This record gives sequence, structure tokens and C-alpha cells, in this order.
Amino acid sequence: MAVVGLQAVAVTVEAHVAGGLPGFSVIGSWGLAAGQAADRVRTALATVGVAMPGRKVLISLAPADLPKAGARFDLAMAAAILLELGVVEQAALDGVALLGELALDGEVRPVPGVLPSAAALSATGVHRLAVADANAAEAALAGGPEVVPVRHLAELLAVLRKEQAPRPAPAGDNDVAAATVPAAGPDLADVRGQAEARRALEVAAAGGHHLLLLGPPGCGKSMLARRLPGILPPLTDDQALEVAGVRSVAGLLGDPVRLERRPPLCSPHHTMSAAALFGGGTGVARPGQLSLAHHGVLFLDELFEWPRGVIEALRQPLEDGVICVARSRATVTYPARVQLVCAANPCPCGGGDRCSCSDDAVWAYRSRLSGPLADRLDLAPAVEPLSAGDLLSAQAGESSAAVAARVASARAVARDRWGQAVTCNAVAPARLVRQSVRPAALRTLANAVEAGALTGRGYDRALRVARTCADLEGSQMVGTDHVLEAYAHRLGLRQQPTAAASAVGPAVAVAQW
Amino acid sequence: MTTADWAGELSAGADPDLVERVLRLAAAPWVHPERLRGAVEANLDRPCVRVEDVIAGLEAAGDARSRPLPRRAQVREVALALLRHGARMAIVGQPGYPRRLADAWPELGAPLWLFLRAPEARLPAAAAVAVVGTRHPTVDGAQTAVALGRLLARHGVTVVSGMARGIDQAAHRGALQAGGATVAVLGTGFGVDYPAGDETVREAVADAGGLVSELPPGCGPKPQHFIWRNRLISGLADVTVVVQGRVRSGALHTARLAAAQGREVMAVPGSVNDPASRAPLDLIRDGATPLTRLSDVLDIVGVVDAQRGGMQDGPATPGNTLTARLSADASDLLTLIGAVPAAPGALARAAQRPVTTILAAVAELETAGLVRTTPRGPVLA
Repeated sequence: MAVVGLQAVAVTVEAHVAGGLPGFSVIGSWGLAAGQAADRVRTALATVGVAMPGRKVLISLAPADLPKAGARFDLAMAAAILLELGVVEQAALDGVALLGELALDGEVRPVPGVLPSAAALSATGVHRLAVADANAAEAALAGGPEVVPVRHLAELLAVLRKEQAPRPAPAGDNDVAAATVPAAGPDLADVRGQAEARRALEVAAAGGHHLLLLGPPGCGKSMLARRLPGILPPLTDDQALEVAGVRSVAGLLGDPVRLERRPPLCSPHHTMSAAALFGGGTGVARPGQLSLAHHGVLFLDELFEWPRGVIEALRQPLEDGVICVARSRATVTYPARVQLVCAANPCPCGGGDRCSCSDDAVWAYRSRLSGPLADRLDLAPAVEPLSAGDLLSAQAGESSAAVAARVASARAVARDRWGQAVTCNAVAPARLVRQSVRPAALRTLANAVEAGALTGRGYDRALRVARTCADLEGSQMVGTDHVLEAYAHRLGLRQQPTAAASAVGPAVAVAQW
Repeated sequence: MTTADWAGELSAGADPDLVERVLRLAAAPWVHPERLRGAVEANLDRPCVRVEDVIAGLEAAGDARSRPLPRRAQVREVALALLRHGARMAIVGQPGYPRRLADAWPELGAPLWLFLRAPEARLPAAAAVAVVGTRHPTVDGAQTAVALGRLLARHGVTVVSGMARGIDQAAHRGALQAGGATVAVLGTGFGVDYPAGDETVREAVADAGGLVSELPPGCGPKPQHFIWRNRLISGLADVTVVVQGRVRSGALHTARLAAAQGREVMAVPGSVNDPASRAPLDLIRDGATPLTRLSDVLDIVGVVDAQRGGMQDGPATPGNTLTARLSADASDLLTLIGAVPAAPGALARAAQRPVTTILAAVAELETAGLVRTTPRGPVLA
């Protein structure tokens, strides 16, 4: 199996062993590790008593035009040679896929990207997959072919020659119920006060909306952001597999005993390169933080410190839910359906009680948030600096479990309305959302657009947020109050006083002249 | 158009020859207020400073320079440009020259000539108060300036300021809202869009009181223009009120000029911790009258405050016609929102209402134009 992006493609490995000038060559769009694979396979085969002195070995990897890299084909090459030499029978290898790297002593080592490979194999008629012990649990998670863990090349040989029964793979724990027990993670109960930010977080979780937390340093912006995955609904089977798949390709999956159901949270630092964020690397691009946060939360702290170009480049994947990274050997598409949570200081000095920045200076600072990006964010609550009273109060905030329950029921309402195609309100088609909004509420928002307080895109986004507010309340229709709340959540995204607001005086007075 | 024609239109009632000579000086870039002061000072040892002597002195200086005064054709162009912008010229001692400025002639900084664009080519004759301050006010400062402008205008007092963004424009707008008279002294010549994009306010002020400039038409903004302008702001007003300003603020300069011209100086006291209140506090320390309530300024200009309301007169109390259409929540919230911004969370605590209610009420008030959004939270509009 070759893995390009998350796309796993079955690769057929053939071997030809003949007389002639002794050598070991591999053909079929093979990367730099070619010579190394040859030596590993030859040496490992020797440990099971198969020596090939003075023979010409030719290995072909098909399809040849597919970029291939890494040591993942070692095991398959060894098996192909064993078949060519007649050590094992053709029947023993029918419908068998092999994935693993060989050590010089014949031991089988784990490789990255086993999960997407195993998942893709289900569709190809392969019924058995041999992998290293350390990859067995991961391969089993896919629920595809029967997984045969092999510790050593000798074990593979014994299994293929039916001298030994294959060991059972560790059972993958795919039980959703097991995952809904509160996963260990930070709890919202730790957050005191912050009524507005808590509400915004809840709405964001219930509708999958993007969030910008504005507050002075140390007021708890990261604290809030890290609690978002805890109130999001657990990942579904397919989502969990996709998330694990990306992690597997990135080599970060470790040894999972069960699929992680908690949505991932990635918080890249603003000094990170664009390649690390979006995916990159030589030859075939590896997934970046954006894709690692797939179906989860991408937390960008200090939003205004990020290079403008990187932030602008986020716009397209935010719309499409995928990121396409082109590198020399392949153009790879990784999933990138993230919920964006940004945090920023409210003003140039950092904000807080001692702030003496003028409104003009603050507006200038806010304009670093580009209009098009602001149009893609939905809620911008003010995170207030904690007062001494809040710190001392013994009263803990509401727990994540209680909030998560409301989020889950709101999501259920939304799912019943939209059907399976639309996962959350944030991606619901604007046309459908409008149908469930009361005319008076629509008019309220349309007036705001007319007054220049809202852009056209902001209008649709505010409607979706209003839809979520209504879902949280259990309302069938979106009313004026919901629309107004959604509108208020957007006020923090302003980059300049609007035309009406810039006149120091009520709009009615401005209208006089 | 003959010289007599345009001179008659530009400065009705004045001798066309004098008008042409003065405009010739005004059109020369090197004849700026400092040079004018020099020409005045050269005559101070005489028993009385005559306009004729000052003009002659400047003309002599022009003849001695390598770049002499403009030719007649050029002067005519300037005159036509002024007329195109609807401006007139007022010469000291001639009809149309503002009385209060004439009091400051010759040695207290009054200019020899003035371009003005005002209804019937005259600035309002009523009592006038200059309201000045920083370009970067706090919300509270801007509110105070609006309220002052409104109060003064309501009592028939002309509000004089400098059209800069911030306190200046807030004062102009307050006066405009109350339908009163307000005069702006510009730091540019006529026909320059400065502050850029604020044409609406400029036009409104031109109709409601007047625009004043001593610079030739088309002359762009330069730092020294605003320093020169300050003596006209103080000179056009009986009282100068400094609302907010930082250290070395232009408003401080205006106040000192006003004191030198023998006018009353008032300052709005602010917090000692607020850098934006540094200038008024320094002025109070140096003897300016603190403005403890808005109506104090009316006492000083000698106008009786019809409904003495103190600071309650400050932020606008929205009319009943507007509040009648608001929801109960929004009306309640309106009493909580003040001039100092507060985040919705803080408002929710204060009102003991759910934050969702507060958010909806804030949005309602914002869309109704009663509350405006600052980066720090909602404040009364």
C-alpha cells in the first residue's frame, strides 16, 4: 500500500530472481531509500535461511507512476522474493497485503500510515493484512481485512507455509459508548465568570462556528479555547477514522488501543512556518497542523502576531474543508475541516485596566484582522480580566458535561432538520437557513446590512449563528432575539466604527444633515 | 471680471485697491502669520499701528526678496478661486471682520486678513465659546464635547473649534445636533479635503456658522498651520474650554493664547490617571476655571441656563419617540449603558440578567442608533 495524502493505493510487488550479473534493483517510481531497502531485505532474508548469492533480483512496484517512499514495502518485497524462489506457494499470498519495514535481523518494524491503508484495503478484495506487532492495533481499528501481526520474518514465513496459525490481532475498541465517558480533559467548571465568552463558546460548539476571543493577556483566552473540544460532540466512527488516519500519516498515532473520540485540538505557535501549518515537506507533503486539527479545533493564539500571508491563506481551506499541498513528487489533498478559534489582545498595549490606548489606536490595531477573514469568523466575545471577586468566589462555573449536553441536543435538532449531508449549522446552505427565520427577524438583520453595519457574507453568517441560538433554546423558528444575539456576537469583529457609529451622536441626529 | 468687480464681491464695502493689495500679500506663500507679526511689531513703537503701514512694510519686504509678491494676474486667479469656493475675504478695520478678532488687533495675534465661508459672509455675532481638545479623545471626552456643543448651541452661543477629528468635531457635531451656530477654523486653505473624508461635517458647519481660514485656497495641511490656527480659535471666542489633551497638546497652546488675549480659559477636570486629561489638569493648576458642571460655561459667557441640569445635561437622553419602540430589555439596558464602555458580561452582572438577553438588547440598541460600539464595548451614542 502506498499512501499519498490520505489516499492509500494498493501496490503490487513482483519479484524476479534470475541468473546474470548479481544485483538487486527496484523499479517503479521508487524514492531514495531504494538501495537501502535492497540491503535490508537481502540481509533479513538471510536470517530465515534464504540467501541469494550471485543472483540478479529485480523488484517491480506497480502502479509505477505512483510516488512511493519509505520502508513500508520491505515486508512485501521479502514475500515476493520468497514466492519467486518457491519457498511459499502462490495460494498462500493470494489476497494478502503486507506492510512493514524489516530490520537487519529479520524483525518486522512498524511504519506510518497503516490506518488509512487498512481502511482502503476493505474495498480491494484483500482479506488479510500482515503488519508489525506495533501496527496491529492501528490496523485493526479500520475494521477492514483480518490483521495478522508478525514479529519476525520467520513468523511470516511460518504463517504463509501454514506451519503456524496466525496470532489474533488485538481487538480494536470501536465502542462509541465507551468514548462518551467524560474524557480526561480540562473542564469548563474551572472558568469563573466570563458570561459572554462562555455563551459564545457554547454557541460555537453547538453550531460549529468560528470564534475570536478578545481579551487582555492572562484573562483566560487559551483556557477557554482548550475547553472547547470537551463540549463538542464526540467524533463519529467515520470522523474518528479520518482523524486517526491523518495522525497515522503524520506518524503521530502511537499505539492506539481505541479510536480517539475526542475532537483534536491543535494550537500552533505564530512563529510556525506556513508549511508546518498547511502541510509540506520534500517529495510528498506531510499533513500540517491544519489537517491534524481536522474535525477538531485549530486554535490560533495571538492572531494579530501571525504573518498576514498565513492568515489570508487560511481562508480557502476554511471554505473548502480541504487543503491542497503541491510538492515535487505529488500534489496531496488533506482534509482540513476545522473549527477555528482565534485569540487576540483587544488593543496594542495588551488591554486591561491600565490601558490608555485611544479609540483610534485600538481601531487601527483591530484593522489587522483582514476584512475577508473577519467575514469568516462568527463570534467575537470579550474575555474580561478576572476581578478579585471572581477569583475568590467559591462558585465554580457550569461543568463541561452540562454544557456538552445542551450542545448535543442542539446538534441533534440541527441534524434532524438538515439531514446527514449537513454536519452543523455553520455549513448549512444559507438558502435553507433563511427558510426557518421569521420575516421580522430577517428584516432586522437586513436593516443592519443597509446601514453598513454588516456585510453580505456577515449577514448569512449571522443568520447561521442565530439558527444555532434558536436550536440551543429548542425553537423551531429563528426569532428577532436570536438574530439580535447573533448580531451582538459579531460586534467584536468590527475593524472600524461603522458609518452611523462614527458620527459622535445618534444616527437620527446624523440623518438631519 | 475687472478688479473692481471681484474685489467688490470678495470683500463688499472695502476699497478695491486695498482688497487687491491685501490679497496679493495673502497669496504669497512667504507672508505667513509669523512674518505678519514681524511687520506689526516693527510698527509697535508708533502711537498707533496703521493697517496701511503694515501692508506697506510687507510690500517693501516683498520687493527686497528674490521671489517677489504675485503679479496682478495671479492675484486675480486666487480671487476667482476663493469666489468659486464661496469664500469671502475680511480685512481688519473693514466691514465683515469679526469683532472679537478685531479686539486682538494688532499685537494679540489677529490676522490682517481672513477668508471665511459663512451664511451672508459674516460669522455669528453672538457670544462664542471655543471647545478644543485632543484628536484622540476617550469616549467620555468625546461625549463631554458633544454635550458642551449641544448645550451652548441650545443657548444661542456659537461653538468655535478647529474641525480636527476627535474633540473638535465632537463639539461641532453637538452644536449641529442642537441646530445651533458653530464656526470652524481650518488648518488648510479652502478647497482642501482635510480631515479627508469629513466633507459632510465641513459643509454642515459652513451652513450653520462658518468656516474660517487665513491660508490661500488650495493650501494643504502643514504642522505649523495648526499652531497658527490656534490663535484664531481663541481669538474668535469669549471663552476657551479645553476638554481633553495630552502633554504638549495643541489644546494647551490654544488655551495659553486665549489667556494671553485676555479671554477666559476653562478646563474639564479628568482623572489624574488619565493621560488624556493631562492638559486640562495642568491648566487648572495654572489658574484655569475648572468646569465642574457643563452649565458653568454658560455662567461665564453670561447666558442664563434655562433648565440647570448639571451633568445630567451631558449624555443625550433619548427622546420618548425612540424609546417607545424598544423592547423592555433594551430600555432597561439603556439606563445601564453609560459613557464608559462595558463588556456585555459586565452589563449582565450589573443587570442580573442572562448574557443572551444583554447581547440581544445591545444589538437592538446598536441597530436603533442609540448605542454605538467601541472596541471596548457599547457606549451611549
